[in-house]
Amino acid sequence: MKETFDKKKILIVDDSEINRSLLSDMLADEYEIIEAENGMEASVILHEHEQDISLMLLDIMMPVMDGFETLEVMNKNDWIKDIPVIMISAETVPAYVERAYDLGVQDFINRPFDERTVRRRVVNTLLLFAKQKELSHMVMNQIMEKENDNKLMIEILSNIVEFRNGESGLHVLHIRVLTEIILKWLVDHGEYGLSLDDINLICNASALHDIGKISIPSEVLNKPGRLTDEEFKIMKGHALEGARLLQDIPMRQNEPLIQLGYQICRWHHERFDGRGYPDGLKGDEIPIAAQVVALADVYDALTSKRVYKPAFSHEKAVEMILNGECGVFNPILMTCLKELSVSLRDELRQRSDAQNFQEEALDVVEHMMDSGELDVSDRTLKLLEHERVKYQFFAELSQEILFEYTTTPEMMILSEWGARYLNMPEMIPNPGKDAFGTELFSPEDFEDFLSLLENTAPENPMIEKKYLLNVNGQERWSKVVARSMWASWEPPEYAGAIGKIVDVHEDCEKMNHLEIIATHDSLTGLLNHKAAKAQISAILAKNDGKKYIMIIFDLDHFKVANDTFGHLFGDKVLKHVAEAMRKNTRDFDILARMGGDEFLLFMPCGDEVEALVQRIFQLLHSKFHGFTIKVSMGVARAEECEGNYDTLFHMADEALYEVKRNGRNNYCFYDKENM
Amino acid sequence: MTVKECYEKMGADYDSVMGRLRKDERVQKFLLKFLNDKSYELLCSSMEANDMNEAFRAAHTIKGVCQNLSLDPLYESASELAERLRNGQEYAEDVEVLVEQVKKDYTCTVDCIRELADSV
Repeated sequence: MKETFDKKKILIVDDSEINRSLLSDMLADEYEIIEAENGMEASVILHEHEQDISLMLLDIMMPVMDGFETLEVMNKNDWIKDIPVIMISAETVPAYVERAYDLGVQDFINRPFDERTVRRRVVNTLLLFAKQKELSHMVMNQIMEKENDNKLMIEILSNIVEFRNGESGLHVLHIRVLTEIILKWLVDHGEYGLSLDDINLICNASALHDIGKISIPSEVLNKPGRLTDEEFKIMKGHALEGARLLQDIPMRQNEPLIQLGYQICRWHHERFDGRGYPDGLKGDEIPIAAQVVALADVYDALTSKRVYKPAFSHEKAVEMILNGECGVFNPILMTCLKELSVSLRDELRQRSDAQNFQEEALDVVEHMMDSGELDVSDRTLKLLEHERVKYQFFAELSQEILFEYTTTPEMMILSEWGARYLNMPEMIPNPGKDAFGTELFSPEDFEDFLSLLENTAPENPMIEKKYLLNVNGQERWSKVVARSMWASWEPPEYAGAIGKIVDVHEDCEKMNHLEIIATHDSLTGLLNHKAAKAQISAILAKNDGKKYIMIIFDLDHFKVANDTFGHLFGDKVLKHVAEAMRKNTRDFDILARMGGDEFLLFMPCGDEVEALVQRIFQLLHSKFHGFTIKVSMGVARAEECEGNYDTLFHMADEALYEVKRNGRNNYCFYDKENM
Repeated sequence: MTVKECYEKMGADYDSVMGRLRKDERVQKFLLKFLNDKSYELLCSSMEANDMNEAFRAAHTIKGVCQNLSLDPLYESASELAERLRNGQEYAEDVEVLVEQVKKDYTCTVDCIRELADSV
């Protein structure tokens, strides 16, 4: 089994079956062969198994979709970068060969096929391709590593400064994000001719803006109250001091990062009107990098809490800057601030989170690469992205509440539509303590749902159950379908679930209604005989040691009432009797109309059975609009029926007939000896 | 009849095919497969239907297969026909001559292979 897993897969695309099997014959001992009759078939296979296929052998002349068209499809889908193609056409016309190479083909195998040549070409191409991939990954990883080291060093440095300064490390992060947002706006609006590389560098350098504070005495730096003029002068020195620190780094004066850092350190307190410090530069004498960082610095200082001031709201901060309360800035940057104002705060928050996340993710990836667990290829990421887009699209389309539940950390993630519909956030940490597990689900139901999931097994992961959910204040019957997810190691560990919640309220209501109709007598609303039989049988089967009796009774001379006063009146009498019985029985007593004027009552009883029966008998004796109601009752004890409903019913029925034989208007207990 | 005798009888190059495919059984297996190949029928039917494009593809396939199996005479005539029909050129007298040659070579080739098939 293992062998077939390890074998590389080769896709052979040729319209001639003989040619395909000839190649297959030559390669099958070392590779797994997949065959396609034409380009269309090949495309379908590539769509599904792109990541599995290591190499493709492709003919040119084919019906439906020929080799060139196939190559174009592969280019369009970017498959050509991941799957090396060797042409196996009999065509040797130079124009064909050239076109094939232009379309990304790696090599040609000429006909007639020679076994050794075919095998050797395939091996060579696979090796070459693997080598290329490996190299490009190595280079990419190195660049990433270097980039990360740079960033890391700068961040360590600026954190030291901030630590001394009594600020959180967030200031540097905020400055970086704000700087990036503003610079991107400038690029989008064609100002200052900046490139994406410039942005990257300026963002990195922005972290250095306050390094000069390292030389400020900490009594001044961390003084809680207002600074004296003298102290303020010392404080201002940090700009020049930072610039000097960078200038003094030996041999590195031509590094763009150092140059930009110098500009930013020295001039991030200059103002557009020349009233800033230390040099009093005016307008665009101040390098744009320093202008942008200055604005970011002011904004972040305003919106952060300091020992001498509270944190201002975003709106207030923007208003203060626009009013010139923090000095004059470049009008272009003011336009930028105005335009970004609405989105700036949200983006800043989002990006700060994202940045943190990204950094965590990078750590994880780095760790994985170090331990050789994973080689992150572009392709894997692309596939994941593809799956994500596909999932989102279907989720949006289906208009169902889709969810993902994870156990560590305990979290519920809702689909976008689902979150909107439920009026809840998409990510819900600790759902059991959140409205999700306490209001939407009742706490008991939510616990039940989780325990159902936990008790599934990897071989049998599906659950389905109806719960009465509280959706935005309305009680709705909903079906929850879910599939538990298991971590892949041995033994598999329960990791959460995916699933959906579907509103089935209308259907449930209909079912309930139908059930009521099916089990109840439409005239009196009592149970019908069939339903009563089912319920009584269930109680008898339980054999719970309690004593029960069954009473069957009918109304004496009921026919007279019908004949004398009409059928409508008869119905009223029946309803009256039903109502009287209902009022005088308890919830757990079973009361049914068997049909006509015949009723059934099944109830638990103590030792005083006779008194109980007598009480009921007398209760039924009454007058209803001039008609005197009298009844004949047959009574049977459940303990004599050996758990069999039909026997019990028969006994009660016998007793009833005994009463009738003896002139009605009485009750009688079933007695084996006398009947 | 051996595979070698079969190749000799149809005037094809046994050494060349053995040099490339390396095993007698393999060559024989694919010769027998050739009997079931539908390209020849496709060629005949598309000629009748006057579909030169389809006829070209059929001739091209026969050419490719014959080349791989070193079925030289049929390879030669199928190649000539394929080149003549490339780009679906109009039907003319000379096509008929080429088709006739392919038919003759195909019949001879297939007869030889059948003889081989009967003897195994």
